[in-house]
Amino acid sequence: MTRAPRLIPVLLAFPAAAARQDAWGRLTVLTSGGAELSTAARLAAGERVLLSFELGGDRFEGLRARVSRAEDDADGHRLAELSFEDPVQRRALARVLTDLLASGLP
Amino acid sequence: MAEIGLLAAETADREELGLLLGELGHLAHGATRLDEALETVRERKPRAFLVVDGGGLDAELLSRELLRAFPLLPVVAALKTRDAARAVALMRAGAAEVVAPPWTREDLKACVSKTLRWRGTALSPVRAAPRRRAGLWFALAAGVFLAAALGVASHRRAQRARAQAAALPDRWYLPVDHPAGLAFDGRHLWVVDWFSQSLYEQSSGDQQVLAVRHLTAETPVAAAFATDAVWTVSADGTIVRRMRDERLTPLQRYPKAAPDCAGLAFDGLYLWTLDGHAKVLTKRLLDAALTPVAAYRVKGLKPTALLWDGQALWTLDAGDRVLRRLDLDDPALVLQVVSLPEYGDGRYAPTGLSWDGRNFWTVAERRDGQGPALLIRHPAVPR
Repeated sequence: MTRAPRLIPVLLAFPAAAARQDAWGRLTVLTSGGAELSTAARLAAGERVLLSFELGGDRFEGLRARVSRAEDDADGHRLAELSFEDPVQRRALARVLTDLLASGLP
Repeated sequence: MAEIGLLAAETADREELGLLLGELGHLAHGATRLDEALETVRERKPRAFLVVDGGGLDAELLSRELLRAFPLLPVVAALKTRDAARAVALMRAGAAEVVAPPWTREDLKACVSKTLRWRGTALSPVRAAPRRRAGLWFALAAGVFLAAALGVASHRRAQRARAQAAALPDRWYLPVDHPAGLAFDGRHLWVVDWFSQSLYEQSSGDQQVLAVRHLTAETPVAAAFATDAVWTVSADGTIVRRMRDERLTPLQRYPKAAPDCAGLAFDGLYLWTLDGHAKVLTKRLLDAALTPVAAYRVKGLKPTALLWDGQALWTLDAGDRVLRRLDLDDPALVLQVVSLPEYGDGRYAPTGLSWDGRNFWTVAERRDGQGPALLIRHPAVPR
């Protein structure tokens, strides 16, 4: 798996029903199907979250994801495993990732 | 401990963050402006720089400048006002982490700790395999380890049991000369000796005699243990049902119910008696007269003992020196014959037979009557 020179920052928003403040974090792993996120926000398994981030010049807004697993890491941050729920968004992300990795300039 | 630069315009912020960093075991070097911060990096070479956003300083701009001069320096931004979009903007500007207000020791510790060893995002166009679940793998590994340990322990236990069984003597002499029968009470063997009119409780693990029950008015020739009673039969054919107590207290007598009886067995429902002379096996009801319900001719030269092992009836033949397994529905039919080479030399005549759940046991009397009786374990007898 190719590793970017730095961690991708991501803005976390929550559905209105959750009544939670926006938060932020870093993507430690990003694939077309899901991601692993390091954040100070207290995410819980089963929770839904909307991700916004920039990747290779493309902007992703409100990428719908579900927390499939969350646990505290050694630093006290939350390490969450996310699954992207929208197939259209997943395809778009897959295209960008493929282009980005093919260009050799992540 | 790490040396960490601290850039904040306001003294209160510097003091507060400096104290928190000190509590975390780090050494903070304060600066109020960008040029001081750059000087600090050049002189002190800190592991990271903490920049306060607000109070007259723009952390986004400062982060860019610091990273332009020192690209490998991790920068942590501390927000004075919570703003997620601003946090993301700071991270995009190069901040490794962003600490939200109010600043706490825990938040700062997590951010600084993560910053000091951060790496880039791993990218893949395809979905990666699920992340390893450390707990699950640990549990699995622990389970495998436990199973292996149990397996090893079980194997060792079996080895020990085999070694102990191998170490056990297969035969030994008894303190009696004239055994007539053998029985097993679930724990120990009982040798019936007609000459001394006694039953000897004998350990099957060693050669110890645990107890002796003397039957003063009888000459016992066979015995059988049931769940709640002990059955004995005397030389005159009197069958006695006894309590399983210390004295084998008689409960009921059946005078001369089974003349010439050589063996006795109880299968849980019927009492079986073996007439050694007539070679007849009799099946009896447990009524007031032990009424015979069926009689069967048994094969062999000299049947001398009878046994119910929980599954089948067996007879011991002193003439043929064999065990015979009988069909319970028709005991005239022999299902299996097992020879007893231990008696091949003809010096001893087997007189009693028992089963302890694992091995057959026989007790034998010297044919010339000049010597002690012999107790033999037969571990190799197939069932």
